Amino acid sequence: MYPLLARRSHLAAYLLLWLLMGALLSALLTTQGGLAWTLALLTGVPSAIAYSFICLSAWYVARAMPLARTGPARVIVSALAAAALSSAMWLVFARGWTALVVSRWAAQSGPTFAAIQSMLFGIGVLLYLLSLAVSYVLVVYETSQDAQRRGLQGQVLAREAELRSLRAQIDPHFLFNSLNSISALTTADPPGARRMCLLLGEFLRETLALGSEDRITVSRELALLDRFLAIERVRFGDRLRAELRAGDAGGCFVPPLLLQPIVENAVTHGIAHLIEGGTIRVSADRNGPWLRIVVENPCDPDRPRRGGAGVGLANVRARLRAMHGADAGLTAGEAHEVWRVELTLPAASGEAS
Amino acid sequence: MTDDLLRVVIVDDEPLARAVVREYIKDHPGVEVVAECGNGFDAVKAVAERAPDLVFLDVQMPKLSGFEVLELIGRSVPVIFTTAYDQYALRAFEVHAVDYLLKPFSEERFAEALSRARARLAAPAPGGDIDALIADARPRQGAVERVLIRDGSQVHVLPVERIDYVEAQDDYVCFKADGKQYLKDQTMGALEAQLDPARFVRIHRSYFLNIDRIAKVELYAKDSRVAILRDGTRLPVSRAGYTRLSRLL
Repeated sequence: MYPLLARRSHLAAYLLLWLLMGALLSALLTTQGGLAWTLALLTGVPSAIAYSFICLSAWYVARAMPLARTGPARVIVSALAAAALSSAMWLVFARGWTALVVSRWAAQSGPTFAAIQSMLFGIGVLLYLLSLAVSYVLVVYETSQDAQRRGLQGQVLAREAELRSLRAQIDPHFLFNSLNSISALTTADPPGARRMCLLLGEFLRETLALGSEDRITVSRELALLDRFLAIERVRFGDRLRAELRAGDAGGCFVPPLLLQPIVENAVTHGIAHLIEGGTIRVSADRNGPWLRIVVENPCDPDRPRRGGAGVGLANVRARLRAMHGADAGLTAGEAHEVWRVELTLPAASGEAS
Repeated sequence: MTDDLLRVVIVDDEPLARAVVREYIKDHPGVEVVAECGNGFDAVKAVAERAPDLVFLDVQMPKLSGFEVLELIGRSVPVIFTTAYDQYALRAFEVHAVDYLLKPFSEERFAEALSRARARLAAPAPGGDIDALIADARPRQGAVERVLIRDGSQVHVLPVERIDYVEAQDDYVCFKADGKQYLKDQTMGALEAQLDPARFVRIHRSYFLNIDRIAKVELYAKDSRVAILRDGTRLPVSRAGYTRLSRLL
């Protein structure tokens, strides 16, 4: 919507400006065109008001050709063409209107208009170009406001995603199942039960502590995953095997618990559906400016598809987008009975390197 | 006293979860564990071979979920579900499970479930045709993703996308998939409630067709058509079937 039309006060100010323009025009018509000043006012002011609306089109021209993305030659040619066209249209209108007024009220006659025609055309072109310039200023202003709003919106979304994903990082059923394991171990293997309690306690403490951190190193993230998998191994026994490798990317930063939902999926949607179990492989690599993390797990192609695998991945994707925009990406897919999630994000290794 | 002996099967893919049940059972002298299973396939087999009085059944397991095991063993074995997930409770109630134990559960809660099972065995639930009840509960679960076929103590899991078509054969339905045939004791009507109507069309009184397999439909005689599948198989299409088919294509 045209910004001037959105508010009545803006429109009034705009029209007032053009009334002034109409007065000037009338003066011109009197002095140069030889019209009586009443007649000049009767022709000049309505013409100016009419042109004020024609000039509104400059806004759309400005919008269609943002200065930043359009070549200067194209801008100049288009602006001149639009100005000439508008001015010509205006001239036709003004001429018709003047003829009408003169024939109605004027005692005098004679070719009053022809003398100022070219001058009027010139004025029309200049006025249009002025409108265009003002429109460009408005467009720039609006764009910057828009960008600011989008920036704020992005921040809010990022914060929300952060909170939501932190809450979603740890599946409560993981806790219930772990407690059930402890319940079994208390009589059969008391030292084992204690070990499990300690593992669980450390994991939870570390996880809660991460809530206040924006980013952690890949090594720390993998250490946390290792602890998580150690707890799950108490439940699944030999069925669950894991290989975690940070490679040369151990010092790179990632948002805390970024991989947790992916590895949790690997357990519940991968290993848990396999009678013989399998190995979850997590590897991180640094490739120039990029950090690449791959999580792979064997899966049963006939497993039931219903379930929340999509939620976790969507969460991770949203977090990556909130932090890095289009620079980060996540792809997931299944091939040859292996489920593979690959994350790419800008490698940031902080002050250390 | 042997009449009161309760023979149970414990099904859970986690050894420690089975250990809890086993340990709690020790305090109940009239109960004997006849089998422990780590997955759904073994559970179906064990129930067929050992004919237990009661099954403790985990929900999330490899190959077959607890509900799928129940669908296959059906008949009259009472089941107590054991799971960490509370969201299956309603469904468990719908398939007339004796009880639903949320992990971790206490010894008292376990004893309560066991006495409920004994009560159920003493006075079986009226109208105990659990298959009908399952069929009843199914539509609310939406279309199935895979069809389970029991062949003696063996179980075939057939993902629906692999099925070419289904043919009625007397009281059975015959699934054709991957060039093989699987016979299941089920009616076309019951099957209709299970299959995704956007994928399977009843083209004829005796046929469901997976619309992905269709190559073309030809006019065979006045008012009768024949569907030709990608592999060349020809299936009859009734008039009503053709109407249903064209609505989908």
